[in-house]
Amino acid sequence: MAEIPLSLAEKTFILHGIDADFRNDGRSRTHYRCMELETKLMDQVHGSARLRIGNTDVLVGVKVEIDTPYPDSPGDGKLEFFVDCSANATPSFEGRGGENLANEISNVLALAYQSPDAMDLTQLSILPHKKCWKLFVDILILECGGNLFDAVAIAVKAALYSTEIPKVKCATLDGGEADIALSDDTYESVKLDTTNFPILVSLYKIGDSCVVDPTSEEEMCSSASIVISVMPNGRISSIVKMGYGSVHPTTLSKTLDMGTKVGIELNNEIISALKREDELGLNREIIGFLR
Amino acid sequence: MIKSNKTEQCNYLIRLATDRIDHSFPCNQDQQLIFFTPGEEISTQPDFLKGHGTYVDQQGILRASVAGPLEKVNKLISVKPYKTRYQGEIGDVVIGRITEVQRKRWKVDTNAKLDSALLLSSVNLPGGELRRRSVEDEQSMRRYLQEGDLICAEVQSIFADGSLSLHTRVLKYGKLSQGIMLKVSPALIKRQKTHFHNLTNGACLILGNNGYVWIGANFTDVDRSDGGFTQDLSRVRQENREVCARLRNCILGLAKSNILLSDTSVTYAYEESMKYNIRELLQPEVQLDVALLTHQRLVL
Amino acid sequence: MESEFDINQGGLRADGRRPLELRRIRMRLGVFTQADGSAYVEQGKTKILATVYGPHQPRGKAISSSTKDVKGIVNCQYSSAVFSFGAAERKKKPRGDRKSQEASQQLRHAMEAIINLELFARSQIDIFVEILQMDGSEFCVAVNAATLALIDAGISIKDYAIGCSITVSDSLLGEDDDGQCTEILDANWVEECCPSVTLSIVALPKVVDETETKSSVILTHGSGQRLHLSKLEPLRIKALQGCKDIRTIIDEAVKNHLEIFSIATALDK
Repeated sequence: MAEIPLSLAEKTFILHGIDADFRNDGRSRTHYRCMELETKLMDQVHGSARLRIGNTDVLVGVKVEIDTPYPDSPGDGKLEFFVDCSANATPSFEGRGGENLANEISNVLALAYQSPDAMDLTQLSILPHKKCWKLFVDILILECGGNLFDAVAIAVKAALYSTEIPKVKCATLDGGEADIALSDDTYESVKLDTTNFPILVSLYKIGDSCVVDPTSEEEMCSSASIVISVMPNGRISSIVKMGYGSVHPTTLSKTLDMGTKVGIELNNEIISALKREDELGLNREIIGFLR
Repeated sequence: MIKSNKTEQCNYLIRLATDRIDHSFPCNQDQQLIFFTPGEEISTQPDFLKGHGTYVDQQGILRASVAGPLEKVNKLISVKPYKTRYQGEIGDVVIGRITEVQRKRWKVDTNAKLDSALLLSSVNLPGGELRRRSVEDEQSMRRYLQEGDLICAEVQSIFADGSLSLHTRVLKYGKLSQGIMLKVSPALIKRQKTHFHNLTNGACLILGNNGYVWIGANFTDVDRSDGGFTQDLSRVRQENREVCARLRNCILGLAKSNILLSDTSVTYAYEESMKYNIRELLQPEVQLDVALLTHQRLVL
Repeated sequence: MESEFDINQGGLRADGRRPLELRRIRMRLGVFTQADGSAYVEQGKTKILATVYGPHQPRGKAISSSTKDVKGIVNCQYSSAVFSFGAAERKKKPRGDRKSQEASQQLRHAMEAIINLELFARSQIDIFVEILQMDGSEFCVAVNAATLALIDAGISIKDYAIGCSITVSDSLLGEDDDGQCTEILDANWVEECCPSVTLSIVALPKVVDETETKSSVILTHGSGQRLHLSKLEPLRIKALQGCKDIRTIIDEAVKNHLEIFSIATALDK
């Protein structure tokens, strides 16, 4: 993402600031910037959410369709992540320019949701061996201003929370052929059980300490980062190390502690925001990109 | 007006889109501005001078080519957009970032249509102003300024293709050391006699005409006799760091509410922001409050 | 899905519009902070984001071919979100397919026609359009969004480039003796899917309004089935009227945006 590097002096200034637990915008190492969340803003998908944190802007759309389960997991549904880095974010994403980053993000997401503790795929099953729901979680990155991973994961969780899967009225086996009837009432739908859905917390190692939610300038000062997926109960479902730098085992365990603590708090914040939005009712004004 | 029911939103880390606030606010305009949009007819009379943001079509009608308020200086008619790339003018103070080191020149990003050039002959090299530029100097250009370095310079001339030629031959210009660089629209920088400001809180502020703002963390005057290519990489004191952070948040808040940046407006905002702690200044409601208070003091 | 336009029902379309009525247009300038210009346009359920980067120093492949050019380079990319389709289906790839590439090309032609390129010698302007939701007339709305993004970026243009689509129902085309062709403006997705001809017209409405030059239509592209040549002229006139209407709506929104933004300079004493 970084096209032009920072000067040595700027980096030093950022580095010393993080050392003193006082960042350039006045935050401490564990503080996030203000975020803004909106769900159900697209009306042609089953679930959607937009998250803005600083200048990072992510839009997620969820679509469901009926599919056949994998032979080795007949009782499970399917979940697929696809990330697209829009050239809107930066000209360097034009054409296939954002593909590497996109793959990296979707892999990390898939890893985070892989554990059955985090995402129970059996809730997507309709008829074992025959039919199941397939969830397409499509992530569109509209602007990059640092901390993409966390932003994407929050938006994904919110979009899945808002997802409404059509209700299956009856599913029977008719001579080996599956017969599925969906409810005619479009308002009748099933919601996903999102209680254990994880979020990602990226911890960027800058100097000798780690920070969460870096700005793009701070990201440029970091040699290594650890992305962990934290479930609301504080368990970690995946750990990925990024960047060229290396991390000492003791630093790693300290980092994980910090990440888990931040992750639990962040999860609570998300749930609280989603609840507040629910309270606004069905007639809530959709703001989207207007205003 | 906005504060009444929305202050509680400040406490949440994750806000809802329905609570999004408008950073612009109505104010008693003392001057009536006339806005033009692209294609709109300005005048059919031939007695005008075509300025920036206008064009004459085949029928000889003067039309606007950008959206913005009309500016008329005698017969010169121009339309000035609020947001645009930097249009260089000779004598402007700019902040730039080195993008490339070439033979005998550096390429500098100054938010203009094309990268600007800083010729080796337009900088002060260590050892006095009248020194000849030798081949060794050419070969060690990267030692003075390398990719990513920030400089403060003055526009010396404009090349035929519209790109700018910079110089740093006065001691106040040159390489910038520790601090924070911010980007705002060039239209938000108020044209003043000087763009270097040593604020009363001790910080050094450079409001580049190109919309790049520099908040310097070095509060003491440094010796620039060596051409200003050395950087002070020592630790900045915590209270100085806090001043920088507060200034940064104030300037970004003012820019969000489209308040012209000058030493006065920045100082006012800094003073008005003292009732909040620095991190609170990242919240939209607080930013708007500071902007409103600053605006009130400015119109007085 | 209905295979016919339900125009016979009191002369109204399926969504209750009159044949030449447009959908609601909503928009916003300056959606993003990092780009030089950005705009969001919503026309009915079609939702589109456009951003402009530049004019800036050409980077990458454009560098070698263009250093001697006296005019600026315009670079466009037309891309659609994979979840943008109306039906349950999902788009396989956001861009790179034939249709997107063709749309990118046509968008570039339209933008080259309005930008005063001689002012941007040797520099490059990037225009990126992202379709968030499709519900008919996407290309036309994309042109409108790109124009607005250019205005937001303060780039010098001759006039608004306004896109408007006109659709002729195929089932009625054959009945030439009746002399009644049903043309509808700004078709939505359902209407576009009917057997019909859709013509997307991009025009500079202001210039045509006051000078009556016929060359003002800068771009048309059709899709669907055949169209008799004699039908083209009346279609063009109707679509141009649509363009003018859209221009009025958009122009008002731009002026409104300017008024909100005006505070800064008002203080410049």
